[in-house]
Amino acid sequence: MDKFANVGWPEMLLMAALGFSVVFAVLVLLIFVMKAMGWVFTHQKKAAKAAVAGAAAAEEEHDAITDQEIAAAIITALKLYKSNLHDQESEMLTINRITRAYSPWSSKIHGLTQLPERK
Amino acid sequence: MISLLQSDFLLDSVMKFVETSGFGAFFAPGGWKFAVMIALACFLLYLAIKKQFEPLLLLPIAFGMLLTNLPGAEMYHSELFAGGHVHWDIFVDNAGLIDYLYLGVKLGIYPCLIFVGVGAMTDFGPLIANPKSFLLGAAAQLGIFATFLGAYALGFAPNECGSIGIIGGADGPTSIFLTARLAPELLGPIAIAAYSYMALVPVIQPPIMKALTTKKERMIKMSQLRQVSKTEKIIFPVIITIIISLLLPSAAPLVGCLMLGNLMKECGVVDRLSKTVQNELMNIVVIFLGISVGATATADSFLNFKTLGILVLGIVAFSCGTAGGLLLAKFMNLFLPEGKKINPLIGSAGVSAVPMAARVSQTVGQKENPSNFLLMHAMGPNVAGVVGSAVAAGILLAFLS
Repeated sequence: MDKFANVGWPEMLLMAALGFSVVFAVLVLLIFVMKAMGWVFTHQKKAAKAAVAGAAAAEEEHDAITDQEIAAAIITALKLYKSNLHDQESEMLTINRITRAYSPWSSKIHGLTQLPERK
Repeated sequence: MISLLQSDFLLDSVMKFVETSGFGAFFAPGGWKFAVMIALACFLLYLAIKKQFEPLLLLPIAFGMLLTNLPGAEMYHSELFAGGHVHWDIFVDNAGLIDYLYLGVKLGIYPCLIFVGVGAMTDFGPLIANPKSFLLGAAAQLGIFATFLGAYALGFAPNECGSIGIIGGADGPTSIFLTARLAPELLGPIAIAAYSYMALVPVIQPPIMKALTTKKERMIKMSQLRQVSKTEKIIFPVIITIIISLLLPSAAPLVGCLMLGNLMKECGVVDRLSKTVQNELMNIVVIFLGISVGATATADSFLNFKTLGILVLGIVAFSCGTAGGLLLAKFMNLFLPEGKKINPLIGSAGVSAVPMAARVSQTVGQKENPSNFLLMHAMGPNVAGVVGSAVAAGILLAFLS
């Protein structure tokens, strides 16, 4: 190989040292990039968690203020509903024809236990 | 009838038939080499089938080796690729089946396609969760550069040293990619050495791991890795491709394909493509790659002292890579506080035999402490090793091509 005619031990040692150093340098650079990316994402998660926790705390506080009022309203509503039950019931009785949409899955024709037809 | 048997014409025809048959070539001068190579191919087939040494690759490689060494079959012609480039002017007239398949190796297509599949099968989560693993992946590339010098000491030319050194990366496609460019005449022995030693990782690594670590170090338990979000996993391949390709354009084909496959897997919107590159494409390319690489192991290129040297240097490369990762992990422990120390066994996984090397770390670690689970921690350096060896290949290519 003419191209390598002038290559001796000093050049080979230099190439090996330089090559190994470049591998290290590139991968160390990637460590910093990945660390930065990890920091951004874990930070975002923490911020999101903090925001959710803050909202939950505020809601709790709000709930504490209005809890009694809501309970009173629900109890009143239930009381009124129960006391008025049956008051305006319709006296007209009707028989509604129930029709179901046809489906082969619910069809008795396709059932395994078919009953004999009455003639 | 007798006169017919005695005729010169018939005798000549029979003699010509015997001479042109493959059996006749065994008795020609140098014909014994074919017999040796066929026996060697059968031995490799035995290792692949019976011992299951990397059978997916070793089987097609061994069969390619068998085909190319059948005298008279004329399936591969090394002269079409003499001097490191394709002789297109005589290619179509003379090429055999394997010559056409070999174009994929020569043009660097197969290793890159395999890297797309490897990327689609690799989870970079442990590496993203613990970026320090990149350091261990870098340290394990010591094997490449130590062997690079070792090969020079044995009298190999600098370009051959680069190809032999890359065996230390324990990465078959990278070895083939680099060798096809730097020293194509050594492709057969280097591919066989790389894949054979990759299969022997569970045999080669444990004694070195035990020799370089204490029982206390092997028992170190590591804290659980943080969860990595999907967005991080999607951004990772894009960032790595941009940074490495800008820094080392010669590593761009390998790293780019690796990260393309990974992006297909992680983005979740091209499941069909991801499954295809992991299975169908990967399998098809492995068949073509294996046969054509095996076919380069012709008697003339294989049966010489260079092959012996490559086999010896290959094991030196693997051992140095293993030692490099282990020693750096030990060194890092000097500066890490108690509770955050790393188990040095995961350093050996920096050689990129994925996931074999990580499994070896797990097995050796569990022998010392059955409640210790190192697999996910070892996967970090393991996949960092894939990136590291691709970077090292890019550097050697830039220096020596």
